[in-house]
Parts: sequence; structure tokens; C-alpha cells
Amino acid sequence: MAAVKDSGFEALEKLKSTEPPVFLAPSSISEVARAASQYLFTKLKPHNPKSPFDELLVDGFDAEQIWQQIDMQSQPLLSSLRHEVKRFAKSPKEIRKIGDLAVEASHEGDVDEMDMDDDNDVEDDDDELEADESEGEEEEEDGEEEEEDEEEEEEEEENEGIEDKFFKIKDLEDFLEEGEAQEYGTDYKNKKGLSKGKNQNLSDDDYDEEDEEDEDEDEEDEEFGAFAGDDNEDADNLGKARYEDFFGGKKKETKRTMKDVIEDEEAGDGNQATEKLSTHEKELLKLQSKIEQMEKANLDPKHWTMQGEVTATKRPKNSALEVDLDFEHNARPPPVITEEVTASLEDMIKSRIIEARFDDVQRAPSLPTKSKREAKELDDSKSKKGLAEVYEEEYVQKSNPAFAPATFSDELKKEASMLFKKLCLKLDALSHFHFTPKPVIEEMSIQTNVPAIAMEEVAPVAVSDAAMLAPEEIFAGTGKIKDESELTQEERKRRRAKKKRKFKAESANHPVKKARDTNTEIHNTGTFFTLDI
Amino acid sequence: MLRRNVRLRKEYLYRKNLEGNEREIYEKKRKIREALQEGKPIPTELRNEEAKLRQEIDLEDQNTAVPRSHIDDEYANATEKEPKILLTTSRDPSAPLTRFVKELNIVFPNASKLNRGSQVISEIIETARSHDFTDVIFVSENRGKPDGLIISHLPFGPTAYFQLLNVVTRHEIQTKKEMGKMSEQYPHLIFERFTTQACIFMGKRVMNILKHIFPVPKLDAKRIVTFSNESDYISFRNHVYDKGEGGPKSIELKEIGPRFELRLYQVKLGTLEQDEAEVEWVLRPYMNTAKKRKFLGE
Repeated sequence: MAAVKDSGFEALEKLKSTEPPVFLAPSSISEVARAASQYLFTKLKPHNPKSPFDELLVDGFDAEQIWQQIDMQSQPLLSSLRHEVKRFAKSPKEIRKIGDLAVEASHEGDVDEMDMDDDNDVEDDDDELEADESEGEEEEEDGEEEEEDEEEEEEEEENEGIEDKFFKIKDLEDFLEEGEAQEYGTDYKNKKGLSKGKNQNLSDDDYDEEDEEDEDEDEEDEEFGAFAGDDNEDADNLGKARYEDFFGGKKKETKRTMKDVIEDEEAGDGNQATEKLSTHEKELLKLQSKIEQMEKANLDPKHWTMQGEVTATKRPKNSALEVDLDFEHNARPPPVITEEVTASLEDMIKSRIIEARFDDVQRAPSLPTKSKREAKELDDSKSKKGLAEVYEEEYVQKSNPAFAPATFSDELKKEASMLFKKLCLKLDALSHFHFTPKPVIEEMSIQTNVPAIAMEEVAPVAVSDAAMLAPEEIFAGTGKIKDESELTQEERKRRRAKKKRKFKAESANHPVKKARDTNTEIHNTGTFFTLDI
Repeated sequence: MLRRNVRLRKEYLYRKNLEGNEREIYEKKRKIREALQEGKPIPTELRNEEAKLRQEIDLEDQNTAVPRSHIDDEYANATEKEPKILLTTSRDPSAPLTRFVKELNIVFPNASKLNRGSQVISEIIETARSHDFTDVIFVSENRGKPDGLIISHLPFGPTAYFQLLNVVTRHEIQTKKEMGKMSEQYPHLIFERFTTQACIFMGKRVMNILKHIFPVPKLDAKRIVTFSNESDYISFRNHVYDKGEGGPKSIELKEIGPRFELRLYQVKLGTLEQDEAEVEWVLRPYMNTAKKRKFLGE
């Protein structure tokens, strides 16, 4: 028994010393937990005469069954303890009377309380954690459920079969009980007396306060889509809210608060009962912690990614590889040639082949280098010229090109030659500085079929600008020129007078004048042609 | 030579000037022709010039009917001669590059390969001009992978600079025995999606540049060279086709020859050695709207 006791005690100690997160995952701690719970059970047994079990049966039992065993033992224990506490509250003197008993009891009670305290601690820690979280009731409920889960997992490995990570029967029961409590009033829940020991009050209080907060934070939580289910439930609850839900029965509330105070003091917890803080105070706490965090972050040197232009020396080695450097690429990336791309290309090619629609180089229609051979119409009629005349014409053409008679027979040829002459005129205008247009004399039909070179005039192709005269220099005056025969008497007199004035002016400047030889002056006479291109 | 070039340039500018007028006249002629064909009355705005234009329409032949644009004037006479191509590389080519150039030699009909040695570009182009080549193609590389292609049309024609991507040569695919011989027929050409006609004209321009490297093929040629444009990246493919068993509608395509993507980044209006020549078009990849614009057509 002593050995068992020792091992149990060690187990308890171990439990106490393990970190809370270990309870969340299935591990060897379950064995330890079982040993501890067995030990506690045997400890409590003497105080509970009505207990049906001699010891806690843990081998081969699942969490539910072990839980039930503990429940059966501790229910009557709880009520008796409550009774005792009430008695002590009324008459504190009795505490001293009990004396040894009390000491002994207190030892075990201490153990119990330690157990309770542990649970309490755990719960309080959880509560505090919950309180600190900034989300709404969902998380607090989750926390609650988590903590239930934790305790379950403390006791037992995961329940396979019905239960998995999404579904726990315990959670379902609690959920249903919560619902009932909210519907019928929280008294109902208390009367039912769930098997959480004294902590149930705490949790009830939690629930009450959470309910209050539920309703308060309901509007805030409407945004959280994930919590929609809960929101609906809360909406329903809002309609059925009663005074008791918010403020509880007045007496009970005070009693409960007293109990809470005692328990907290007993717990020796320095946590200040965080669930007693109002929403506002909780928010304030959150804000403050946030502010502290931000101030601290501001004081620290910034992360290298936030430092503007950072060279390789200023950031840790290979840190650029870890950061997801993202910038907008302006150029489209080159295409990756996949199977599909090739397949689509080939399809397109095949369709083009079938249609025979290619973009080949088209051979341009070449300009006819040779003109069409004139189908010379052979005149059947007798030639009007005699043979001698034909020979005469030929001879004249050969020897003396200028005097040969006209040989054009076709009208078209005439027209063509006229057009060509016009063209040549224009081309000459473009390429000669001295330009003398060849007068096209149409009346005279003397046209000799003579090679063009003989007729062409050799003209100066390029002459310097300097020799040219401006039009004003060639002719100064208006266009109205009158011949001498056209002048009237007055005109003649005017002209003479002008001439005399001029002569006098000149003779005043140069009294002695040599006779100028006007013939030796060379005047450049040439029409001045401006080319517009 | 210099004076000739100067004169040709002046002609080009003059013709570019006239283009606007020519286009208007062409449009008017077209309207009259349509009206005549359909038997509808001639539109009232053309009544004055109708007689003169009618005369011109009657005298038109194939060459004058189409309005010439100043673009591709360099290729105006290209169809009269068969193209003759000179292929070279950048200096000190690596073995993969020489292999690639050998393949290109076979792909382009009527092409000849020239070892670069230490020749200067201007020398190469001078000799090419005097030997009556129509085009010179330069291939450059980066660590064995061919990455640049420059096509320079010779008399004084445009130079197009391309970037080569995703090059797969015949040597990479198979061993020599499996490669077999490549058909050297004059191929049919397929150009897909070279459509920009609006103010930029680059689609048609590049199409012409690439087209006139190839000669006029026979109608029953079995070889097909495809240039397909997808958001300014041109895919080059070389196939040989056969009528399949399943009737006239089924075609069996066999891919021969190298395959690569081309990306145009510059077109200059002179030959390769004239670096002071005017730039007709240059790619601007760092403009903020570069992602939205497509220069070669959809």
C-alpha cells in the first residue's frame, strides 16, 4: 500500500510538473495520470462511506468509465463537504475543535486540495489564457472544451470508435447541458451538479459571465463567419434572456462570489480571478499588451527587408533566398513550349495544308521588256507610191537626214511621240540649268525620222550659281511697256523730261565721262527657272 | 556609290511623301471600279474626277493597281531574283554554334556558310554585295546556346535583329543515323498571326523580311516552314508532310530541322555595317505599358 502510495504520489508530482501542452497530445502521461487518479481515489475513500468502489479500476477501462467511477465517489463527497463548509462559515470556532482530525483531514484535504488546486490551477490558467485571448465567446467556449479535452486526455488515451478529433461525447454532453441551462436558467445546471468538483461553480460562473459576454460580444462576433453557428444560438438566446441569466439570483450570486473569493484565496493564485474583469477591462489589458509589444518593436532595429536599399553586407547571409522577392515584371515571359503548344501548332499547320493556304512569295508579274510585236497588217491594196519613189525616199533618208520627208504612218505613233516629247520636256527641265524650251511647231510637218542623238542640243548640264542674275537685274520695271509709236504727245514729253533730268544728274557727278562701249558688256540673258518638286 | 545611295534615299522620301495622295487616289479608283461593277451610280464626290480616273483604271495593269507603300520598297524587286543567303557567325564560334549554323544552311535553300575567322563585318558585307547576295544572316551565341540572329537584306535593305530562345537543334534530338537526310526542297511558308496593320506595321514588315529569305516554291512541295506569332514570340518550325492513309483530309506531319523561338528587338533601315542608320523600330521592354502592347499582331 505504501509502495502504491509512494508511486501514486510520485505520479501526482509528475503530473504537477508536466507542461500543460503535454496533456493535449496522447502520450505516456496517460499511464501516469491513471496511477495518480488511482492514488487520489484511495485517498478520498475513507471520507466517503457511501462509495461503491474500493479502488479506482483503471485497467482496460476507458475515460468515460473511469470518470463515472470518480463521479460516483465524489458526488456525495461534494455535498458533504459543502455542508461542512457552511457549518464552518456559521461557526468558525468549530474549526479549532476538530483539531487533529482537521490536521489529518487537512493533510488529505491538502492533497485533495492540491489535486483540486492543480485542477484549479490548470483551469485558472486556462481561464486566464481564455481571458487574454481577444476573440469572442467561441474561443472561450473552445478553451473550455479544450480544457475538458485536456482533462480527459490526462486520464485516458484517445477514445476511438465514435470519438475522433472532431467529435467528443463529453463535448456533446456539455453543449447540451449548456443549452438547457440557458433555456431553463442556470440553476438547472447547478442542480445537476456536474462532476467537476468545486470547480464546477467556477465553470458555471465562467459560463454565466461568458453568457453575458456572449450577448455583449454577439454583435462583434457577427463578422466571424466561422462562428455563425454560435451566433445563431446566441441570437436565439437573446430572445430568451432573463434577468437571472445576466445577474443570476441575487443571493446565489453573492454566495458564489464569496465562495469564489475563498477558493481563490485557497488556491493561492496570484491571478486576480481574471474572469471577474469586465469586458472593458479585458480589452484595456489587451490594448496595453499590444501597445507594449509595438513600442518594443519600434525600439528594436528593423528587419532588413524593411530597411530600404539593402546591400549584401547589411543583411544576413543567403537571406535573400528565403524572402519571396516580388516585383512586377513588365515584359511577358518567354513561352514555355509544352506538348499542348506543339500539338496546337501542328493542328494549325495541318489545317493550312488541307486548305492549301500558304503565304509563299508571289512572283511579281514582270514588266514586259519587249513590246508586243506589232501585227503588221499587210495592205492588200496596191502601193500608191511607185518603186522608184520608195528607193528615192530611202536614199534621201540615208544621206541627208534633215530633208527626208515624213515617214509617220500611224496616228497612234504620232500621239505617242507627242506624249514622249512632253515628258522629255519635263525631264530636261529637271536636269538642265540653262533651259530653252523647244518650241513645238505643229504646223510644219517636217519631221525627220532621225536618231535622237543627232538632234539633241548640247547644253551645259551644270553651271555655277554665281554667274546667274536675279530677275530684277535682268529687267527692272513694271510690265506695262509701251512702244514709241503708241505714246501720246504728253507721254513723249514726259519721257524726254525724265531723260534730261537723269542726264543732268549724272553729268553733275561725273563732269568728264568717257564714252562707254556698251557692246563689250556681257549680259547674261537667260530665263530664270525655279524648279518645284 | 555614295551618290547613288543619296539619290535612292531622296527617292524613298519623295515616294513616302506621295503615299498619302496615292492612297487617296487608289481609294477613289476603287470606289469607281466597284460602282461600275455593281452598276450603281458613281458617288457624287467623285463626279468631277470620274472621267480622268476611269481612263486611268482602264490603263491599269497588275503592278500599278496596287498602291505601293514606302515600306517594303526594298523588297519591290526581290521577287524577280532568287534569294541568295550568306550565313556567318560571331567570332570564335563554339562547336554547338557551328553545328546550328550547318543546320540553318540546309534549312534555307540557296544558302552558303562562311567561316568567320577574323573578318570585319563591313568587309563581309562588301564582299556579299559584290557577289550579289540578297541576304546575310549572322548567328551569335552565349555559352554554346545560339541566342541571337541578325537578318540583313543586302542592297541597302532593312536589318532585323532577333533573339533566339528555346533552341532545339537536330543534333540534340537524335544520333546521326536516325537523323537521316533532310529534304532540301523549296518549302511552302506559313505565317500565322502577323497582323498589325495600324500605325506600327511591324507585323507585315517582319513577315516580308522573313518571307523574302525563301524562294518561290513549287506548288506540290512537301516541305513546310512555319513562323507562328504568339504575343510577339515567333515560333519557327520545319516539317515535312505526307498524305495519310485516312483519305485526303488526313495529313501526317514529321518534324525535321531545328526549332526555335524568335523575338524581334530591333529593325534598322540600313545594312548591318551601317550603325548610324535610322532605327525603324526598337523594342522597349521597360515601359510601363510594355505588357499590354503587342507589336507583331495578335
